[in-house]
Amino acid sequence: MAALLRPARWLLRAGAAPRLTLSLRLLAGGPGRPHAVSYLPAARARPVAGGLLGPARLYVIAAEEKDIQEESTFSYRRITSQFDWALMRLDNSVRRTGRIPKTLLQKVFDNTCSSGGLGSNQALLLLRSCGSLLPEVKLEERTEFAHRIWDKLQELGAVYDVSHYNALLKVYLQNEYKFSQTDFLAKMEEANIQPNRVTYQRLIASYCNVGDIEGASKILGFMKTKDLPITEAVFDSLITGHARAGDMENAKNILTVMREAGIEPGPDTYLALLNAYAEKGDIDHVKQTLEKVEKSELYLMDRDLFQIIFSFAKAGYPQYVSEILEKVSRERRYIPDAMNLILLLVTEKLEDTALQILLACPVSKEDGLSDFGNFFLRHCVTMNTPVEKLTDYCKKLKQVQMHSSPLQFTLSCALRDNKTDLAKDLMKAMEEEGFPIRTHYFWPLLVGHQKEKNVQGIIEVLKGMQELGVHPNQDTYIDYVIPCFDSVLSARAVLEENGCLPDSDVFSQAALRTEAIKGNLDYILSFLKSNTSPLSLQSLRNSLLLGFRRSMNIDLWSKITELLYKDQRYCQKPPGPTEAVGYFLYNLIDSMSDSEVQAKEERLRQYFHQLKEMNFKIPENIYKGIRNLLDSYHVPELIKDAHMLIDNENLSSRKTMQLSSSKLESTIEILKAENQPIRDVLKQLILALCLEENMQKALEVKAKYESDMVIAGYAALINLCCRHDNPEEALNLKEELDRLDSSAVLDTNKYVALVKVLAKHGKLQDAINILKEMKEKDVLIKDSTVLSFFHILNGAALRGEIETVKQLHEAIVTLGIAKPSTNISFPLVTVYLEKDDLPAALEVAIDCYEKYKVLPRIHDILCKLIEKGETDLIQKAMDFVSQEQGEMMMLYDLFFAFLQTGNYKEAKKIIETPGIRARPARLQWFCDRCITSNQVETLEKLVELTQKLFECDRDQMYYSLLKLYKVNGDWQKADAVWNKMQEENVIPREKTLRLLAEILKDGNQEVPFDVPELWYEDEKLSLDSLLNSSASDARFQNDILKACRLKQSKEAYNLFLKAKQQNVVFTAETYNDLLKLLLSKEHFTQAMEVKNFAETHIKGFTLNDAANSFLIITQVRRDYLKEALTTLKTALDQQQTPFQLAVTRLIQALAMKGDVENIEAVQKMVNGLEDSIGLSRMVFINNIALAQIKNNNIDAAIENIENMLTSENQVMEPQYFGLGYLFRKVLEEQLQPAVEKISIMAERLANQFAIYKPVTDFFLQLVEAGKVDDARALLQRCGAIAEQTSILLVFFIRNSRKPGKASTLKSLSELIPELNEKEEAYNSLMKSYASERDVTSAKALYEHLTAKNIKLNDLFLKHYSFLLKSAGEPVPFTEPPETFEFYAQQIKESKENSS
Amino acid sequence: MAALAASGPVALRRTASRSVAFVRKIPWTAASSQLREHFAQFGRIKRCILPFDKETGFHRGMGWVQFSSEEELQNALQQESHIIDGVKCLKSQPTIGS
Repeated sequence: MAALLRPARWLLRAGAAPRLTLSLRLLAGGPGRPHAVSYLPAARARPVAGGLLGPARLYVIAAEEKDIQEESTFSYRRITSQFDWALMRLDNSVRRTGRIPKTLLQKVFDNTCSSGGLGSNQALLLLRSCGSLLPEVKLEERTEFAHRIWDKLQELGAVYDVSHYNALLKVYLQNEYKFSQTDFLAKMEEANIQPNRVTYQRLIASYCNVGDIEGASKILGFMKTKDLPITEAVFDSLITGHARAGDMENAKNILTVMREAGIEPGPDTYLALLNAYAEKGDIDHVKQTLEKVEKSELYLMDRDLFQIIFSFAKAGYPQYVSEILEKVSRERRYIPDAMNLILLLVTEKLEDTALQILLACPVSKEDGLSDFGNFFLRHCVTMNTPVEKLTDYCKKLKQVQMHSSPLQFTLSCALRDNKTDLAKDLMKAMEEEGFPIRTHYFWPLLVGHQKEKNVQGIIEVLKGMQELGVHPNQDTYIDYVIPCFDSVLSARAVLEENGCLPDSDVFSQAALRTEAIKGNLDYILSFLKSNTSPLSLQSLRNSLLLGFRRSMNIDLWSKITELLYKDQRYCQKPPGPTEAVGYFLYNLIDSMSDSEVQAKEERLRQYFHQLKEMNFKIPENIYKGIRNLLDSYHVPELIKDAHMLIDNENLSSRKTMQLSSSKLESTIEILKAENQPIRDVLKQLILALCLEENMQKALEVKAKYESDMVIAGYAALINLCCRHDNPEEALNLKEELDRLDSSAVLDTNKYVALVKVLAKHGKLQDAINILKEMKEKDVLIKDSTVLSFFHILNGAALRGEIETVKQLHEAIVTLGIAKPSTNISFPLVTVYLEKDDLPAALEVAIDCYEKYKVLPRIHDILCKLIEKGETDLIQKAMDFVSQEQGEMMMLYDLFFAFLQTGNYKEAKKIIETPGIRARPARLQWFCDRCITSNQVETLEKLVELTQKLFECDRDQMYYSLLKLYKVNGDWQKADAVWNKMQEENVIPREKTLRLLAEILKDGNQEVPFDVPELWYEDEKLSLDSLLNSSASDARFQNDILKACRLKQSKEAYNLFLKAKQQNVVFTAETYNDLLKLLLSKEHFTQAMEVKNFAETHIKGFTLNDAANSFLIITQVRRDYLKEALTTLKTALDQQQTPFQLAVTRLIQALAMKGDVENIEAVQKMVNGLEDSIGLSRMVFINNIALAQIKNNNIDAAIENIENMLTSENQVMEPQYFGLGYLFRKVLEEQLQPAVEKISIMAERLANQFAIYKPVTDFFLQLVEAGKVDDARALLQRCGAIAEQTSILLVFFIRNSRKPGKASTLKSLSELIPELNEKEEAYNSLMKSYASERDVTSAKALYEHLTAKNIKLNDLFLKHYSFLLKSAGEPVPFTEPPETFEFYAQQIKESKENSS
Repeated sequence: MAALAASGPVALRRTASRSVAFVRKIPWTAASSQLREHFAQFGRIKRCILPFDKETGFHRGMGWVQFSSEEELQNALQQESHIIDGVKCLKSQPTIGS
């Protein structure tokens, strides 16, 4: 008890009473052992001194112990981080409020248990929190809690030592727990733990607390025999002990005994005495002793006085409280201490004293709005303080203006605790005060019963409401009452039966909304039809919207809409039905998600059409809103359906026409002749010509009408000239523009283009002038602009133009167009590296560092230096880096350079340098570099060599390695990593496990561990679970959707079966998702079972587009063509759009069967939908022909095709008339007669009708089929094939994307060698060679092209260098530094720009 | 606070109108009708939302009041303190649509 209310005393005193005093006190040990304590290490000495001192102390000790542990071992890291968290939470609470809320302690405890990792320090922390730090908890409960913690943690494997036993003793003392000391010692002995001095001291205290001097003496004697020192704490306990034994004389005498033993009584000694007097109600002695203390040098703190107050109150002398209260000096920590006292008093049922303390608190009462005392009222409610007392307290608090609404607050506490009776009484009290009782006050009470489906409880609350004259409103019924019942009907019956339904209309409308939310539109319709009482649409609307979305029945949608917006009962008010129904539609669509609208597109369409038939109109502005919504949901097809509903038909239709350049030109001439202004048209003409890339013509037009040129025209022209690599014209135009308007500013890209073309053509000064102008005119510089400048510089560097690079770089950086960075300075070094001038390269890099603090390409320089063995330069570079960036950076630079150049031994030496530690960012940089350039070996070496690196995040390293293996699809190596990690004792993060699982799955391997699942929540799902009455259904659905998402078909199907057993029905969407999954995995039978179940359990269940498409594909694969046709028909009948793939597969399968009739049937079915499905006419033409050929009807097939190609009204432009599929199939199936006849047809079309597409396609198919000789013969017969460049190039590009086509492309390039020089062709070829590792062919191609002096693009070079490097061959040029994607994008962009 | 408002009720999210006040620290004793009643002195209330937590039966102390015009909203915002049921509420104009 001694220090119950003074947790931080030791800490606070530490400064004022330094160690010296402390050890002086300790000197007075037992007779003959004055210096005993000095044998103990400092860390142990402190808990001795704090034996009976405040609990806040324990955090200091805990923290110290943590330090020790951290120093000694690493494996405790996880445990300590968990410990840190727990310590932080509890410590924060203690520091702020001096207490720990029970819920917080419970939380930390639960968390500790579930985390599993358990350090003994954590156990200590928890145990030590179970005493006086819990003033809100009854004493017995605290001890119970401590025991629970003790047992549970022991179960979890916590190892207890003497500190734990001592902590438990302390808790016993603070909680005044009565226990058998001998049993306790026996328990310790059993556990083989030696009690120490602290144990004995606390045992003495425990005897003294119950006044058992004899027991205490026994221990004391024992201590003496063991030569343990007797401290002040022991004497303090003895004071309490004698007092509680009723012997005040001896208690008082202890002070003399102490002095005799050489121990000066301290504040705690006096406090023990004061408490002893207070417990006897001896106010006089208390006052005397206090005066004595005041006169001495000792000092009692407020919390000490609070303890005396508590002793008085607890012993039944509250009358003396005010006298002590007067002496309280109100130190800084007063309020939290007072609060703890108040809480403790309430816990001990001494509420009146608690209020007294509360009212004495110094609180600002100026504005009368800030409330104080919530904690008191809340705790009173928790401790079941009688309502009469509570209302009285509230009145007082309000009177003194400490709290503005104490009753209301108390009521909210009662509601939260679900104390119905108290709540009712408090409401009555509030009403007496003139404060109205509102319906929603009862909701928290209802919630409590609703959670337990406690109908009786609900009824009681409703009766209580009646009693207080409060009427439940619709929300009360919907949210809190009806959910308690199985159905609306049973709810009504039970309520009526119990006389809880005075106003049936409110309930009816609530029922209506409940049914609406559930999607029970039948109910809504019949209610609306029969209803006679007034109805607020406003409140019904939101529920109705939800209901619409849950129902599939469009007829009901329409009928309900009709009733609501046409029937006189519901719709009479302005602004009239037009606006109202418009808003309703808008809100309906707005409330749906985009995927929902997409899925229900057809239903919405039907709905719109039905509304149209019912003659509904909506205002145009609302239509526009709907249109925007539909647009943002990506269902523009619905817009036209919504458009029909517009009220006002006058739509302004403005068509913008694109005029051709020739037309514009003649317009200008006419205008000119009529002497009219031509500026606008001239501008249009210039823009049109630029669009046509007709530079010559554009320049001519400009020259002709120069006086009428405007800025925009010039800008476009300048850009055009830049694109056409014409720096002179571009410069001229720029000058003309400046003359026209010197303040005119071009956009950034045009400036960049100018700089680029000028730099390229050596017009350095002009380029720099443009840069200056950009600066002067403050042109917007984006990241992409800086990137463009980099490319300009890099281009010049690769061309070896040292001066250009230097001067442009200088201008760009000094003008501040780009900030100095490693990237922008990169080309400065590149230009020397390209020339293999390593000293200069290093010099430039160092220069950059001195000027701009960036060190560009240091890694590449080092690699080259190492390769060339330039030791002096390496030394120079290292000295520099080490001096400027530190030794660690230097070591890393060297390490990476050795790794990169394959000098692993040297790399190993570097990374084993003593003192080197992990630099995560640098390691990651190198990992990423290895991943992008696919350097498997280098990365593997990196991971291997860093194994022992201090603080290296091994998991992250392995993660990078796995990323690379994933790129290469190398599951064997990934599997090896998995074993390696175990060997190394690396604990993988979730993302690593997931990645590993993916690689293994991709390699069709079993995953040997549990894959952590991604947290995933669908919007739709959360809505469903909200609406679903049962939470377990929702969980089921959640699980199954997750399984679908993760493509776990077996899992999903099993869940379905389980749900089926339990009769749980999911939403239609769920079944569709499941079906899609099952069908895509070809589980046909299971899919059919799911379909049947869904059809029998969900009214109007239909498969959606995707599911139907998958069904068709599966049926085709299983050769159920008839069924597939039926499925397609069903899907189309439901206005669905099946996938192109599904329809194509079906048609192809029919063709192979020679089933012309059914192909034509399909053609009829999808008539008009070809575009939305994405189905080309050629699919039908090819397959009908194939089918005919299969039926040996070759002539008919050929005649058909010829007719289509040669007739007047062509079905299709000849250049799109691709017969590749037909040709391929015919060749594949070796339908020899057909091959011959087709060949003849193709040649005839070419020779007689100049239609070259078929013959070229045929030629290409021959090449692809490996019939090179036939192809060559065909080419000789029909030379025009070689001129079909665009067709051929498309063939190149397409095939370069497919694996294994290199030989095809190679033969093609050999057949038509002139193709080789086309960029698309050689790019594609190189890509194919690279992907097939065909170094020889690649080399030949490269040499051929360089011999022809063709400027090769970066993408080509990148592929080539990649190939060479992977084959271990030297690269004869600098590898383009960026990624493949980058260069591919670059080519794409340059094409877009020039087209 | 803007973020809170933006994640608020659906219907307000897309309304171009900005005349919405976001009110915090509403006393538990007030429901949406009290909120509406209080703010009605500043203008016509188009919409007033005070969501209740169906797990506890209490609201979360935050609500949105939509006025029919910007001017009315300004009226409300200019008033220094808003006291509902004797408790001072905090209000602010969320930056919807800006």
